[in-house]
Amino acid sequence: MAPNGPPTVAQRLAALDALPDDAAREPAILRALEDESPAVRERAIRLAARYVEPGVLGAMVADGADAVRRNAALAALECQGPYALPHLQAMLSLADEDVVMFALQILARIGDPAAASAVLPLIRHPQLNIAQSAIEALGRLRSREAVPELLTLLGGEIWLQLAAIDALGAIGDPVAVGPLIELIPDSIMAEPAVLALQRLADPGSLGPMLARFRLVRERNLQDALLLAIGVVLDLHGDPAPITQAWGEELRLDPAGAVASYLRLVLAAPASGDDLDAEERFRAAAALVACADIAPLVPVLLARLGGPDAPHWAEAVFRPRPETLRVSLDQHLVDADPRVRRGALVALVPEPEDAARLLPLLDDAVVEVRAAACRALALTGSPEASGRLIPLLRTGSPAERAAAVDGLARGPEELLPALAACLAPGTSEDEMIAALGVLGVRAYPPLEERILELATSRSMPLRRAALRAAARVPGSRAEVTLLRALADRNQPVQLEALELLVRRGGERTAVTLMALLGTGDSLRYHVIRALGHLQAADAVGRLHRLYPTSPLHERLEIIEALTRIGGPELPDFLRGRLMEEDVEIRRLAARGLADLADPADVGMFRRLARDPDWGIRNEAARGLAWCGAGDGREALLTLARDVEPVVARTARQSLDQLAGRSEPARQVRRTA
Amino acid sequence: MSRVEPAEWKLVTDLIEERFGLTFDGVRGEILQARLQPRLRAHRLDSLRSYYHFLRYHPDGEAELAQLGGRLTNNETYFFREPHHFELLTGRLVPERRSELERRPLRILSAGCSSGEEAYSIVISLQNAGFELTGPAWEVDGCDLNPDRIAQAREGLYEGGSLRVCDEDVRRRYFREADGRWRLRDRHRKGTRFFEANLRTPGGTLGWAVYDVIFCRNMLIYFGERAFAGLIELFGRSLRPGGYLLLGHSESLLDRVTEFEPVTAAGGVVYRKRAAA
Repeated sequence: MAPNGPPTVAQRLAALDALPDDAAREPAILRALEDESPAVRERAIRLAARYVEPGVLGAMVADGADAVRRNAALAALECQGPYALPHLQAMLSLADEDVVMFALQILARIGDPAAASAVLPLIRHPQLNIAQSAIEALGRLRSREAVPELLTLLGGEIWLQLAAIDALGAIGDPVAVGPLIELIPDSIMAEPAVLALQRLADPGSLGPMLARFRLVRERNLQDALLLAIGVVLDLHGDPAPITQAWGEELRLDPAGAVASYLRLVLAAPASGDDLDAEERFRAAAALVACADIAPLVPVLLARLGGPDAPHWAEAVFRPRPETLRVSLDQHLVDADPRVRRGALVALVPEPEDAARLLPLLDDAVVEVRAAACRALALTGSPEASGRLIPLLRTGSPAERAAAVDGLARGPEELLPALAACLAPGTSEDEMIAALGVLGVRAYPPLEERILELATSRSMPLRRAALRAAARVPGSRAEVTLLRALADRNQPVQLEALELLVRRGGERTAVTLMALLGTGDSLRYHVIRALGHLQAADAVGRLHRLYPTSPLHERLEIIEALTRIGGPELPDFLRGRLMEEDVEIRRLAARGLADLADPADVGMFRRLARDPDWGIRNEAARGLAWCGAGDGREALLTLARDVEPVVARTARQSLDQLAGRSEPARQVRRTA
Repeated sequence: MSRVEPAEWKLVTDLIEERFGLTFDGVRGEILQARLQPRLRAHRLDSLRSYYHFLRYHPDGEAELAQLGGRLTNNETYFFREPHHFELLTGRLVPERRSELERRPLRILSAGCSSGEEAYSIVISLQNAGFELTGPAWEVDGCDLNPDRIAQAREGLYEGGSLRVCDEDVRRRYFREADGRWRLRDRHRKGTRFFEANLRTPGGTLGWAVYDVIFCRNMLIYFGERAFAGLIELFGRSLRPGGYLLLGHSESLLDRVTEFEPVTAAGGVVYRKRAAA
């Protein structure tokens, strides 16, 4: 306590957490909803969501005397989620217009589509604020049934119209495309309509949007349309007939307004202040490539080859490689090195390109030379290896890295030349670079030398060779990796273990099981590796190891057994639920949630009352698989859990039960 | 790292808050995730849950956790940041205690000192105000969670970014250039001491009412409510009666009941520990 003062924030929070389950709890929570500290109110909101009935909170919303208390009650109702739904729907028919507005806003934030039918009639409410809130709620609820009604609002009152446009974008029904296009450009609704079209991202909107894009001159609207067009191109690829025909006009008039605008966007430097600038650049790049606007290609390439080049530069011309190819020779000799580099980065190389790329390996600018390396390798041309291997051996670090990357991505015909880089007497850097290629591309003819290098005295060389060995099929490479498990350096051991797991292989699981007998620090990793290998033969060994292992290994054993599965798993996990350690119980509950079926509903209802949030969270996951009866009731309680994570999982499970979402667990396991 | 499940995110962030008081809401969550990813890779772990188990229960977990705090904190700082606080220190706070300081040294703490820029800025300000010749002796302590930053503070060698508001003249006066970096001249290290400390569990290093002024600027914004309250209590115990706490411009005690009273000074608010009744 502060000296002679009232309880501190920390003390008030602690008192809330310690409230007993008796009649005094609710009044204490309600008092805390009015606390002066936001942190205390926040905690009280979570407790109110869990322990105070919606009717009590609804009455606090209706009593507008204290705004702090009312806002806290609104937040608590929102946290109650689906549990509060019936009460909130009933609030929609109250006479107090403020209360109706608040109820609409909470329903929108809860986002349960079941509320839509109660909300829909309110879009015709005589009180405009209520009608607007209802429209906004329908957008948040993504209510397709509301679309016909919303479309009728587009010619009406301005605020309702704006709300309807936004809602139509959020709902995403393509029926809205035509009416929204009609609002561009001669309307103050144009920009919101374009934003809605961007959210819709319907391929049918591309043609009409391009047509409008040619007409508009206002910068904000141009920006908005460009972004919307970019999103459609991103999502739906190359609708060639539309963009090609549209681009024709720009090719003929490169100084026209639209071309000038696109030139500005393409040339604008990256800016941290304008968050949309990167997205506009990406959209303009896609449009230039798809619509084949040749006069703008050099401007685009200068950005793609510049110091702030985007990570997606390589993909710009993939939908329409010929746009770049027709003028490639010209770009490769451009005076601006950014254009030369951009052309090399964005090119989709063909074998016949090799001859025109070779001179770029002698370019004065190192970044251009490095880009040429990669492009040349990707041509797959035999001439490439003759030039790339020397760069790998003696090039600058940038050229060497580019040569490694290029050779790794190029055709197999380039790989035999790597033998020279691995020959005895070669520098370690050169050998590691060559092994870098072979760590990505399997090349069995070099197996002998790779395996020899895997026993090198140099740790970096050993690791690089092990990565290359992991790519080589056959038992000799496998044995080499298994031997590396006994390497004198643990990083090498762990690398070998990881490579073995990735590679699979008959002997791996057997060897790893033998290593379970050792008591050293590697065993922790071996247990995990057996799980990743889903080594069914290891189940018995892991069961026997469990009772005598330290806690960190026991946790790994439970994880591993859960990954492996098997008929003994459910009983094993139920046994772990009886243990004292909370982490063990959490993992057991997690494994059981992955295996849940309706017969488990009783167990998960018990777990739903566990004092530990982690176990309640797993119960919420498991109950999603237990049918809509008793399980749903438990989920409604969990949906207003004091821990937001648990409440969120429970809501996902409720959605799953209602058929509104995919299962909360990405991979459902079976025993 | 595979997709982060909210539950495993909570496990790790609760542990970090419990140990260091640091919270990672909103955008800062992405920063945390980016800083954790290399740690998962280093230990060849594939989920935050596994990392949490490692931190909590693996024999090497405690060592990893101890280092993690330093890796998570933002070490962004520079010389003479928010300069009005240094003017306030030399123009008002020190003169206020002048008679007391005739008998003992002035003691200042730079809490969350990172690589020492703030502590050294304090020393330079005291020197520039002439206290070296006519004023009290001083002790300027700097503490931080991150041992690497403490080592850097002791070394006194800085990149250009730490001197971003220093013009050429200031750079020449207080630093020597060394291979593109800047080494603080020895005379400006006078009276400084740096030590590693987790302010959540300071042990015996803090909490004794020895300091006249505590600088803790732009650090509290990273703390959760409980840690924030605990830290303010710790600063209260660490200051002499009437001592001052200087916070960053976006940090405030105005909506809290504490043993500090706000004092308007130098166009802002600083906090004075109430004298015992």
